[in-house]
Amino acid sequence: MMRRRLLVSASAVFFGLVPAGPAASSSNQIAVSVDRTAIATSLGHKFSIRSRIANTGGSAATALVAHLNVLSLRPDVYLDPEDWSSHRTRYLPAIPAGGSVTITWRMQAVNAGSIAVFIAVLPQSGDPRPPATGPTVHVSIARRKTLNSGGILPLALGIPALLATLSMGLRMRRRASH
Amino acid sequence: MATVERTARPRAWAIVAAQELRDLWLGGRGLLLSLAFSGLLSVLSYLVATNQALNFLEQRESVNLTLQVAIAVGALLALLAGADAISGERERGSLESLLLSPVSRLQLTAGKLLAALSLWVAALVLTIPYVWFLGRGVGIVGDALATGALVGTLLALFLVSLGVLVSIFSGSNRVSLSVSLFVLLALFAPTQFPTSAQQGWAGDLFLRANPLTSGEHYVGKIVVDGHSWSQDASWLASPIIAAALFAALAAVAGGRFMRLSGEVSR
Repeated sequence: MMRRRLLVSASAVFFGLVPAGPAASSSNQIAVSVDRTAIATSLGHKFSIRSRIANTGGSAATALVAHLNVLSLRPDVYLDPEDWSSHRTRYLPAIPAGGSVTITWRMQAVNAGSIAVFIAVLPQSGDPRPPATGPTVHVSIARRKTLNSGGILPLALGIPALLATLSMGLRMRRRASH
Repeated sequence: MATVERTARPRAWAIVAAQELRDLWLGGRGLLLSLAFSGLLSVLSYLVATNQALNFLEQRESVNLTLQVAIAVGALLALLAGADAISGERERGSLESLLLSPVSRLQLTAGKLLAALSLWVAALVLTIPYVWFLGRGVGIVGDALATGALVGTLLALFLVSLGVLVSIFSGSNRVSLSVSLFVLLALFAPTQFPTSAQQGWAGDLFLRANPLTSGEHYVGKIVVDGHSWSQDASWLASPIIAAALFAALAAVAGGRFMRLSGEVSR
């Protein structure tokens, strides 16, 4: 068993994943790790987190669900996780003893601020045991002015005005020729 | 004699196209449709640039949104012109004189198809300043316009051909426009599907098979995700096939089935 745990940890390091902390090594013998624990990005940008769900037990792990959790670390920011990712729940295939599954979670930074993301894995049976969770990924999202709106009004009015003038000119010319 | 025929043949469709272009643009209909198109793009660009909620969009996504609306509405304008091409003449009572003119029906169809495509060309030209304004500073204006021109031209050719095809077999303009718009709405329906329905092999196949959804997906990949032109080229298969197939069908139907009454055959 010890050798298997070492093998899982070694393979996690090999794949560049950050192994789960003490909270993740739950009693259900599932370990969750992520490829990074800090992300800095800008509002509106897309980013992804790669997670690895390893079965450290001696038998195959079946009927598991992985869920992506997104929350604001500051009380003044309202956050709706659905806006961040439209595919936050994944039903996992059976993981053989010592095996693992890698899942990529794609997200879009919808709120500026300090955001925490973590992945929880729990059984589909709904057994009342604590889920296995990965380490917190701290996402720092900078505010960003997306577009300089100055100058849009002349363009937005100018082009239709030009076409309207052309159209009226054409109509007057037609009337004059008749 | 053979030389005379060779030089005369290409001119017939060009003459038809020139006459149609004059009717469309000097008659004022083309300008009015372009005015409505530019009004729509102006409102959209203004909202994207100033509205708090829409301004949240990343700059690339703003360009993508504007470009996709321009492609969809520009292609719609071309479809309307195509759907009016034959049934409109039939309804106005001018088809008979056209059929009696020394121009083959194939060339007549080709000339009308090209003239209808001019609405898309005008829409593309009008889109340039909006895309430039929204995309300046992030270096995507050239790519966005080139992708929009490619995908929009393929979709416009497909829709114009579809409109002409329907118009050939329609007894009245109302039927032709209704059928064409219904087909267009049906083609746009998958864009409203929930995200979950667009995933998996079936959803992927459905999106790829529909020329409109696959064309717009390709534009999004280039403009938003910054992919290279070749990376998602497979998404262009459906627009290319649809454009070629429907242009050929319209040409064959125009050459063989164009009748005064709008019925296929008796």
